[in-house]
Amino acid sequence: MSRLRNPWGRPRFLALITAGYILWSVVPVLLAIAFAFNNGRSRTTWQGFSFRWFTGETGSVLHDPALRDALGHTLLLAVICVAVATPLGVALALGLQRWRGRLSGSVNTLMLLPLVTPEIVMGIALLLLFLQVFGGIGLGTDAQAIGQITFTLSYVVVIVRGRLVSIGPEFEEAAADLGAPRRDQFFRVLLPLLAPAIVASAAVAFATSIDDFVVTQYLSSDASTTTVSMLLYSSARGAPTPALNAIATVNLAITLLTLVFAYLVYRRFAGRDEATAVAALEV
Amino acid sequence: MGSRWLWRLVALPGVAWLSVFFLCAFYAVLAVAFGNQDTLSQPVPHWNPLDWNVGYVLDMLDNFFSGGPFWTVSLRTVEFVAIAVALSLLIGYPVAYFTARHAGSWKGAILLALILPLWINYLMRMLAWINLLAPDGIGSDVLHSLGIERLFLSIGLLDEPGGWLNGQPITVVLALLYGYLPFFILPLFVAIDRIDSRQIDAARDLGASPLSAFLRVTLPLSVPGILAGSVLIALPMFGDYYTADLVSASTQTNMIGNQIDEFMRQGSEKVTGAALTLLLSAFLLVLMSYYLRTTRRAGTTAQTT
Amino acid sequence: MEGEIRLEELCKKFDDFVAVDGIDIDMPPGEFFTLLGPSGCGKTTTLRMIAGFERPTSGRILLDGTDVARVPPHQRNVNTVFQSYALFPHLDVAKNVAFGLKYHKLAKEERAKRVGEALELVSMSEFARRKADQLSGGQQQRVALARALVLRPRVLLLDEPLGALDAQLRKNLQVELKALQAELGITFIFVTHDQGEALTMSDRIAVMSRGRVEQAAPPKEIYEAPDTIFVADFLGVSNLLGATAVGQDGGACTVQVGDRTLRAHQGATGARGEVKVMIRPERIVIEPHTNHGEERMPGMVERSVYLGGAYEVHVRVLGGELLKVMVPNDGSVSTAALEPGAAVALHLPPDALRVLTASEPTDEESVTDESLPHDPATA
Repeated sequence: MSRLRNPWGRPRFLALITAGYILWSVVPVLLAIAFAFNNGRSRTTWQGFSFRWFTGETGSVLHDPALRDALGHTLLLAVICVAVATPLGVALALGLQRWRGRLSGSVNTLMLLPLVTPEIVMGIALLLLFLQVFGGIGLGTDAQAIGQITFTLSYVVVIVRGRLVSIGPEFEEAAADLGAPRRDQFFRVLLPLLAPAIVASAAVAFATSIDDFVVTQYLSSDASTTTVSMLLYSSARGAPTPALNAIATVNLAITLLTLVFAYLVYRRFAGRDEATAVAALEV
Repeated sequence: MGSRWLWRLVALPGVAWLSVFFLCAFYAVLAVAFGNQDTLSQPVPHWNPLDWNVGYVLDMLDNFFSGGPFWTVSLRTVEFVAIAVALSLLIGYPVAYFTARHAGSWKGAILLALILPLWINYLMRMLAWINLLAPDGIGSDVLHSLGIERLFLSIGLLDEPGGWLNGQPITVVLALLYGYLPFFILPLFVAIDRIDSRQIDAARDLGASPLSAFLRVTLPLSVPGILAGSVLIALPMFGDYYTADLVSASTQTNMIGNQIDEFMRQGSEKVTGAALTLLLSAFLLVLMSYYLRTTRRAGTTAQTT
Repeated sequence: MEGEIRLEELCKKFDDFVAVDGIDIDMPPGEFFTLLGPSGCGKTTTLRMIAGFERPTSGRILLDGTDVARVPPHQRNVNTVFQSYALFPHLDVAKNVAFGLKYHKLAKEERAKRVGEALELVSMSEFARRKADQLSGGQQQRVALARALVLRPRVLLLDEPLGALDAQLRKNLQVELKALQAELGITFIFVTHDQGEALTMSDRIAVMSRGRVEQAAPPKEIYEAPDTIFVADFLGVSNLLGATAVGQDGGACTVQVGDRTLRAHQGATGARGEVKVMIRPERIVIEPHTNHGEERMPGMVERSVYLGGAYEVHVRVLGGELLKVMVPNDGSVSTAALEPGAAVALHLPPDALRVLTASEPTDEESVTDESLPHDPATA
């Protein structure tokens, strides 16, 4: 059988390309992370190991106000984004999935559009919206949050909807058949089954928000609305210290931790959720 | 089961949000592009379609095709994107193919490695390259010692030794490649992975050589994936400005995104910027519909092959 | 607790498609009632209307005299066992079974007791703490049963519950289900496309086709005295012969089959003109080809299929039609007579010959051969 699965006869060649690609893909970032721990000011010459750019007295992520504020602002936006986009998206997914009617196709398209729109187009559209229409809100944190929510919404909908489709209508029907009114069909049956997808989509929304650049930049007002991405962009070509590497590393660490956390929560929900079900739903 | 209005009501908040902050935002682009400019060079949007100043945009379109200032930039953008996508295919296809068909027990780990870049901040990945390609950077040194620098110098892809970050188109293209390649590989991998290996077995069984089976079965069946991946990266690439900005200091490598960015954020040419955005969106729309039509056709052809 | 269901002019349309075309069925209390038919005949839609998952376009559903057609499913005292069981994956077996009890206002001890009893009834007590996806198909089915029965419904609806199980398991569960129904005395309404299953388990069968009820009667009557060609064809082999009814002779109808005259005692004996006559394979007797006379048709054996306990002999008669004859493997007919090419005479007793007129034009979609795979799409 393996003889038949070997059209090129030289999988080693392909393996080499793949390995080469992965290295090319990952090594530069690893080096950037490594230099975040550099003892000196250089980003290109190794001068020893140190945490100074993370926690040092001056110029570190912890103590440099510009860096610290950027990190804080990034997290603030991410939290707002998740808090709004997740419930909004879950509701939209539910409504779309069960919508029987002419308009459902158009609404579906509307929901998908942000996913295929280039960021610069989104950024400009929102910029003009907040300058010309919602001048009252104007640019700044609110605008940034709104902008981020607008496109993370679609991610949430797509993820939750996929799960809804695979769940199907039969569990709610069974619940109804056994006597559960509409409210209980949702809280006792659908929601527990949907929970893993909700958690996953919240994690995706968080990670997307943290790493967002174009929309966030376009909707920023002044230095107080700077995020880590914007900081990286503006400082990269200057003569920055490894503190830049450090803040990028911290950003990355937060993203990865979020994903790992979400994965664990997902596993717990999908696996042993007896305790949760009993506690929350008093079966 | 269930009342019809319940679910529409549930979807309402989301729909309302998108209508206001997405649809209206686009309308704002239209209104500004077809609007006027006041004495302070600030845009005066025309909200009523009947008031629209279509002339300005049409002039711009005219400019395009008569070698106006935007022509060069647009051409360059198309060039960059086309090369980047072609290179993505060249590198991405073998990787996707290997992972889908030959990875064996390594599949999970390799997939993880392929997905990882998607979670790393794009700007951080560019930052990494700026570090490496700086005149005293490790990358610069490696390229020098491998002789690649000399090669590029001789064929004119590089202007001066160590000047990778000084307005070099090659750097921009390679940076685009680096940035967007992961987004290309993943859908391609999914498409190739989905191919039923029994079809290939059948082809072999009927007498096809390994290469022939690949060319006549696997490749045609992976075309939808290739198209999907290409569109997935081409669309954002056309609007990219930050990549060029980061790895090249000069306007010589400006893409259409850079142009628009300058108008919108730095200059006082918001109307022009809006108009350009409009034209860009229209172009991408055409691209998208072409893609959708081709996938439909490619899908049916692949089935009959 | 009666459990009688009466459907009156029940109709269901999906846009232009008529799934259920004005049916009237009486389902007496305490019976094992089966809705039988091919995919697309409307049986599952009918069941879902009784359960409350579909709203009828028109008509009434009377549960012990009360029309429940507009009552939402959670307020009907009717429970369903789904084709895919639909056990809640996030709850264990005991909690699945206990799910509906929450709406019955019972003390905690009483609830636990009822759950225990229900699990005992279906022999699943030791699986109380298991998760649904750790159970086999047959086990899941039992839990689904327990979950429905614990609520003591008046009527239990079963939507092709044995469809996903392998043959042996299916046979065992058929027996168990039947025994359970007899023991509990609840009305069971059972949907299936498997005619063997229907014949074995039911007290009464309603054969459906294209949204209509062709015939509703006990199994014996359905099999031996089918009203229409569809029913005759759907259950077992029907051996339909095209014929012309020319007159009556005593209680029998005289029919012309090709150049032969036969007498048929059963069915629409008053009919005239183009008809079909049918005879079940086990009623035809193979005799030496030298036998002539009334009630006999000459023919040639095309092939014999060995079934272990019997032979199914395919005989081509003079008119060109193929008749299938069931010959028990008891040595009463010599095997030489069953060889392909052998000339035989078929005895068609008038008592076994039935005159049928088509209620609908016979359609290609009715699958006659039970050995062909049935499409498990929703009916």
